[in-house]
Amino acid sequence: MTTTTRPSGDTPEQMSSRLRSFLLRQEVILLIISLLAVMFLAFGSDRFLTANNLLNQGRLLTEIGLVALSMTFIIITGGIDLSVGSILGLCAIVLGVMWDPKGAFAFPLEVAVLICLLVGIVAGFVNGLIIVRLGVPPLITTLATLALYRGLAEGISQARSVRGYPEEFYVLGQGEFLGVPTQLWVLLIFCIITAVVLSRTVFGRATYAIGNNELGARFSGLPVGRYKILIYTFSGFMAALAAWIFVSRVSTTRSDMGSGLELDAIAAVVLGGTSIFGGSGSIIGTIIGFILIQLLKNGLALSGVTTDGTIVVIGTVLILAILVNNFIQRRSGNG
Amino acid sequence: MPPEQPPILEMGHISKRFAATQALSDVSFVLHPGEVHALLGENGAGKSTLIKIISGVHKADSGSIAIDGQPVSFNNPREAQARGIATIYQELSLYPDLTVAENIFMGHAPRRKFGPVSVLDWDAMFSRAQELLESLNITDMDVRRKVGTLTVGNRQRVEIAKALSLNARVLIMDEPTAALTEADVQRLFEIVRLLKTRGVAIVYISHRLAEVYEVCDRVTVLRDGHYIDSKPVSATTEADLVSMMVGRTIDNLFPKITAKIGQPVLEVRNLTRKPLTRDVSLTVRAGEIVGLAGLVGSGRSELAQVIFGFTPAESGEIRIDGKVVKVRTPGDAMRHGIAYVPEDRGTQGLVRQMRVRENVSLTVLRSLASGLFINSQSERQLAEEKVKEMGVKTPSIEQIVGKLSGGNQQKVVVGKWLATHPRVLIMDEPTRGIDVGAKAEIHRLMSELAGQGLAIIMISSELPEVLGMSDRVLVMRGGQFVAEYSREEATQEKVVTAMMTEHGSTAA
Repeated sequence: MTTTTRPSGDTPEQMSSRLRSFLLRQEVILLIISLLAVMFLAFGSDRFLTANNLLNQGRLLTEIGLVALSMTFIIITGGIDLSVGSILGLCAIVLGVMWDPKGAFAFPLEVAVLICLLVGIVAGFVNGLIIVRLGVPPLITTLATLALYRGLAEGISQARSVRGYPEEFYVLGQGEFLGVPTQLWVLLIFCIITAVVLSRTVFGRATYAIGNNELGARFSGLPVGRYKILIYTFSGFMAALAAWIFVSRVSTTRSDMGSGLELDAIAAVVLGGTSIFGGSGSIIGTIIGFILIQLLKNGLALSGVTTDGTIVVIGTVLILAILVNNFIQRRSGNG
Repeated sequence: MPPEQPPILEMGHISKRFAATQALSDVSFVLHPGEVHALLGENGAGKSTLIKIISGVHKADSGSIAIDGQPVSFNNPREAQARGIATIYQELSLYPDLTVAENIFMGHAPRRKFGPVSVLDWDAMFSRAQELLESLNITDMDVRRKVGTLTVGNRQRVEIAKALSLNARVLIMDEPTAALTEADVQRLFEIVRLLKTRGVAIVYISHRLAEVYEVCDRVTVLRDGHYIDSKPVSATTEADLVSMMVGRTIDNLFPKITAKIGQPVLEVRNLTRKPLTRDVSLTVRAGEIVGLAGLVGSGRSELAQVIFGFTPAESGEIRIDGKVVKVRTPGDAMRHGIAYVPEDRGTQGLVRQMRVRENVSLTVLRSLASGLFINSQSERQLAEEKVKEMGVKTPSIEQIVGKLSGGNQQKVVVGKWLATHPRVLIMDEPTRGIDVGAKAEIHRLMSELAGQGLAIIMISSELPEVLGMSDRVLVMRGGQFVAEYSREEATQEKVVTAMMTEHGSTAA
């Protein structure tokens, strides 16, 4: 939940109890864990804590980050979206196939990008429609569309990859602006937008209300169905945006892009303190969550830990973070 | 109950503290076999804490508990159960997808040897469940039926049978009649009397004083966690009990002030949504309180939810101030000035995990927003204003609503709906499960609102409330209005007769 400014004039006891509850927030604990991890990893390799490496990691985390932002909204409503990785793959393929000068369409790049984003929006909208209008649980719906969208991507791609994009297309994924990778700016903008929307707008408040008590939200006259469809549609859009950045970063298009992305995104959101049962969570937590995951991946790799080992470590950190959080929540009587 | 019989349960000088709240301080409670002992107090007086200590859910910080004169200490509900203490909570704890018999014998089902393995003995389970129910004079229930398909009253009977299957000698009933219809209440009382003759001691918690006089022998009153007094019921009057509970005298439980009745505000014509709203027509005027009486399942809440657009009508029309309006969603209803305080504040009326401020503003977020953003200053102002106006007792508007008492929660629900400036206010069981003091405040508020020209529909299963508050009483049965009485004409007998003729009983 958001922190609110209260009238000044608090007694010292109130201040110290507020300080205590601030320090016990999952976001703060996570931040401390992250800093510890960074310190630890910096010992493992002297290449880790360099501006160059960290900025480069920023490039790599943008796609997960974007998807995790919209995933935060979904999980706060008590839902889940497993299909984001497949939407990313589908959108990437659509982008390539629409642009491919040797292919059937050969559209200008701008049009291809637009179609890519549109496909993401439609894919997310379809998820929302099935969940809201047909009442199929989000887990089942997006598990089905996870297979469906990936299947479409593979069908459209015919196992071919599209490459050879014009130079200017790579600005987004490989270029920089003011010394910072271009896509990090995109991520930053969306971090700010989503954080403000979630904490300050009617829509954000409704998101929490739906997650805590959907029936109560409906009885309060909130257009719950419309809001939920909007949230899943936004998730599709973010996956499409991530697809665009992904293709631009790796200079090629393949149908298996983004597989497994949903797990990283969900892990980041949950690590960031958003309850998997819905009702509570924050964007700032998610941001720390995806940064921590990326830092661990990179730092461990640089320290010579194998990929398998890295996954084990990330899983362990996730479980530890949740256990610590549960423990603290119970101690402070909020659990 | 002969007083010379030794007590079955003795609790002495019990204290219990939760974080900042002293829930109980130095409370004593003595229970004899074969007595029905009412435990009274406003919400927050410590009744729930006391029964949770008896049933092993909580442990007392200090004090003693003795059963049959032997000191005991329960670490968990199982240990209490083993000593013959059973609790029937407000929220029934049955498994809806299992049969009556399975629910009764959950955890201790009869088994038989099948070679080396022991398997469930279904025949024995069904026949023993049948016997148990028959011993409670319940002959109209199929033990093979799924509990989810039973009425609330029947589910409660299953709960009682379950407690007896564990050889309960102390039965704690926490507001057993809160969700029951008049007929079910009578059947419950029969069972209570039957158990009494068998020497079962019953702790009876209820907000309805009439029930205390009807079935209870002794009464113990708690207030703010303190023991006030324990007396034979026959030695008290209703006014005594109320003043013991609230620490002040309340002259009139239903402070009805007749308001000037004006033009029709809400007119409903031939409204239909099958199966429980059938061709209903109704007019409510400004300043008028219309009471809807009926058994549970008669279609009162369903009608309210059709008018409110939660389950929109299939046919018929709704007029506000003479103009036909389309109500397809609760949002539409709100825009046309219809507000609905739902039956269940926990799941429908509030978002319990959220703050008082956030709950009050939930209905009017759009109008509090400048552009897309919630104006937090006007939000706080609105919340402060409603908390004051409703007299919500809360440390601050930042309090989590779920931590307030039932009465205060209900005031928040009413407040959030008054924030929409409605013309028509539908209140569904507005005082269910709330304490006497809060109840009187809600009633006074209703009179005030009517005085300001609001048209009010009140749905209530408590007849004295319906008769006390309404200018007009409409009786529903099977999704239709079957009788209408003016305030002067309406009597308990007439209304009950209209509610129950044809079916006579609601046994399912």
